[in-house]
Amino acid sequence: MELNEIPSYIVNQARKLGATDVAANLIETKRIMIRFSNNEVTVSKVFFENSVEAFIMIERHKAATSINTLSLRNIEKTIKNLIKIAKSTPPADIYAPLPQGPFTYNPELMRAPEIPLDTDTLTSYVESAIRAALESGAVRAAGTLNAFKSRMTLATSGDVYASQEKSGIEISIRAFVSEYATGHAVSVAGKLEDFNPEKAGREAGEIAKAASNPKPGEPGEYMALLGPMVFADIANQVGSLSSAFLIETGQSFLVDKINLDVASKEFTLIDDPTLPGTLGSRAFDDEGIPSKRNVIIENGVLKTYLHNSTTAKRFGVETTGNAGIIVPYPWNLIIEPGNKSLEDLISEIDNGIYVTNNWYLRYQNYRTGDFSTIPRDGMFRIKRGEITESIRELRISDNVLRILQNIIGLSRSRNWIKWWEVEIPTLTPHALINRLNFTKSRM
Amino acid sequence: MENIVEFVVDSTRSMGAEYAEARLQIDLRESIILKNGILEASTFEESKGIGIRVLVDGALGFASTNTLRRSNIERALKHALKIAKASSKLVKKKISMGKGELGKGKVDIKPRVNFGSVDFDSRVSLLREADEEAVNAASICGVKIPSRMVTLDTWTTEKIVVTSDGANIHSITPRVALFVFLTVFHPQRGPIQRYFNLGETGGWEIVERWNLPRIFYDETYAVSKVLMEAVKPPDGEMDVVLGPEVVGIVSHESCGHPSEADRILGREAAQAGETFLKPDSIGLRVGSPYVNVVDDPTLKSSFGFYLYDEEGVKARRRILIKEGVVNEFLHNRETASVFGVESNGASRSVAYNREPIVRMTNTFFLPGDYTEEEIFEDIKDGIYIKNFMEWNIDDRRFNQRYVGLESYRIENGELKNLIRNPVLEITTTGLWSSVDAAGKKLEFQAAYCGKGDPMQGIPVWTGGPHIRLRKVRIGGA
Repeated sequence: MELNEIPSYIVNQARKLGATDVAANLIETKRIMIRFSNNEVTVSKVFFENSVEAFIMIERHKAATSINTLSLRNIEKTIKNLIKIAKSTPPADIYAPLPQGPFTYNPELMRAPEIPLDTDTLTSYVESAIRAALESGAVRAAGTLNAFKSRMTLATSGDVYASQEKSGIEISIRAFVSEYATGHAVSVAGKLEDFNPEKAGREAGEIAKAASNPKPGEPGEYMALLGPMVFADIANQVGSLSSAFLIETGQSFLVDKINLDVASKEFTLIDDPTLPGTLGSRAFDDEGIPSKRNVIIENGVLKTYLHNSTTAKRFGVETTGNAGIIVPYPWNLIIEPGNKSLEDLISEIDNGIYVTNNWYLRYQNYRTGDFSTIPRDGMFRIKRGEITESIRELRISDNVLRILQNIIGLSRSRNWIKWWEVEIPTLTPHALINRLNFTKSRM
Repeated sequence: MENIVEFVVDSTRSMGAEYAEARLQIDLRESIILKNGILEASTFEESKGIGIRVLVDGALGFASTNTLRRSNIERALKHALKIAKASSKLVKKKISMGKGELGKGKVDIKPRVNFGSVDFDSRVSLLREADEEAVNAASICGVKIPSRMVTLDTWTTEKIVVTSDGANIHSITPRVALFVFLTVFHPQRGPIQRYFNLGETGGWEIVERWNLPRIFYDETYAVSKVLMEAVKPPDGEMDVVLGPEVVGIVSHESCGHPSEADRILGREAAQAGETFLKPDSIGLRVGSPYVNVVDDPTLKSSFGFYLYDEEGVKARRRILIKEGVVNEFLHNRETASVFGVESNGASRSVAYNREPIVRMTNTFFLPGDYTEEEIFEDIKDGIYIKNFMEWNIDDRRFNQRYVGLESYRIENGELKNLIRNPVLEITTTGLWSSVDAAGKKLEFQAAYCGKGDPMQGIPVWTGGPHIRLRKVRIGGA
């Protein structure tokens, strides 16, 4: 059996054995990763992966699996095991049949742009990023280059059989002038013409240089300018925690907030997998629903949670095309731009702090949104509309909803962000936040 | 299966690699997800494949494939060689594999109760019984518990690791893991949340020993009391007792991570960051003489258990901080070579398709000689932080924050009222230097440590006894 015949085979066999609903998704991936530090390559990796995710229902009885030994014998054993487990487990509270197709998909989203996967070319991208960082004043650089091509082939009992390709290329580079003076930048793209490793290296180097000789920061409330890497992290929190599954488990500050103001009017957050050639584009979700542009927050008002068929039925709404068979996910987050330049935003700050990157965000309470996270890389004091000095060792200790309500300006220009700390590709501007709380270690 | 792995290593060596290592790994996992008392899903996963690591011209290449046909494996190993060779032009200091006590043999952890003998229905019944106890506890406390999320995993990892310089280890490790996330709510007091993990190496007998209904009841009861009774914490300099759960996370974050030799060398600089420790920090005082922190993969039944690492090196206890002084770093063979020492067996990988890197296992503060009563008895005015929700630490592992969940005021040596969300925001040396007592009783918690790119969430234990900090600053909401 050819690989692309496996999903339909699973659907047919499981149906014969009594499943009312079946979805089987074959994922084939080739990925190359080059990691570097101290201006040298530390390791290069290549991954060849074929796996199948399968889900069955016998009405309210469910079972799911992921396997990567794709022999006929193992597939047949797996189908029987799925049926056995579904029959032996108690029923769920509701039965939401898989969506009935066939559906029509946007052909532009089914094909992926060509991305080079040869090691010499990819190594040359790493070289150019490091060189640009060093030419901007850094003394060393570290990071990751990641390039992939994959194909998903989905079959469901709802008359879905479809295949979509995806590809992408990303570089994340952190430049060091000293242990305390660092800068980080990324270039992430779904197509090669949008990929610019040299620019990422240069930006990282420039931030690191500007961050030289930082002084300890003073805690307190400041007007804060959040760079795209920081604001992307906040937007990822909002996008991820708008999953209806996490609403049900109480792991979200958006519980019971549909149609309420959750952010300032400046803030509109969209999940848009329908943009061809972007890293998070998708033609269909894991149930075969054609992908949709969903406005999660519009001018500050929470408009929808993200759903698959099961969560949609429980909430009494339509699926938003964000399955995840078990947990709905955002695919490709977009923050609508503001109307100001970066210089305009800086000039509006009388006494504030500019944070270019952060990591390690942890919640005290997901339901209220109380959290803290640690600025890293360049962080700067702004006084009377001008950057005055580099500072270090502060922590943002605040509340996500409070931050969203306190957005007072967004830049026109936006950057695509995805890196180790920001999982979902996110197109984001700089954001100006009123009264952001900073704390620090006291001894 | 062993033949495949040996074939890979032999072929790779014959193609010119200076060093080759192959790891065939099979992970079989079964999971139950219970959401608000309702079964959300029963799942099983099978992950099988081979990871190949080669050293060519001083550069490292890694390739993985899950298709174990000879042609696919040959393609993967050729790619590993090719990609290493291509990147060798960007390698100035050639990588080499240091020494280590390489092993041969089999480590087979046999469950007393096999996972296969416990059907999904029985597992769901157990979780539902526990879930009902959480609801009962909330009800007794006069609060609601609107959101409960529980996952129960059983999984078995089988590995064969062969290296070109003689290691050959076959291991089979069964594990069980539980994750619980609870939201307790009162209309006037709002929501409060608690999550915890349990995890051990062994069979279903461990789950039977845990007594989940009791644990769910106790945890819910405790967090409900915090919600209803806790008052604003004091602010200022005072004595603080940290419970084992907090001591465990502190040991992991503020000793284990800073001691990873690959971080010290800058290899994780763009991801999890670096460390305030430097290559010459061995012998540096970072804490009081009461501070002794170790990392030990050899603890029986521990979540991070192994006897040989992914490079075939024999595992042993690593004494990271000894009487307040940096004593040893965590090494794999690559970092050991740079430091001119032997590997201490800290190379781990979470799956066949992940590069083995320097990792912690079970990191804990060694017990002292104080009884719990002695730790508390001479504190006139202080606080006790039993467990926590929020925490983080900067990427030099120097500025950290722990926000207490179940926490109490201490007056004249006695526990008094509950306090809400005390904040300990402190430097690593500030924290370790303020320790003046450690209890006798050691406790562990399960956790998943995140590191690497691609990310590898790996099972660990964190732990310690109660410890006492003198005159540290506490703030809070």
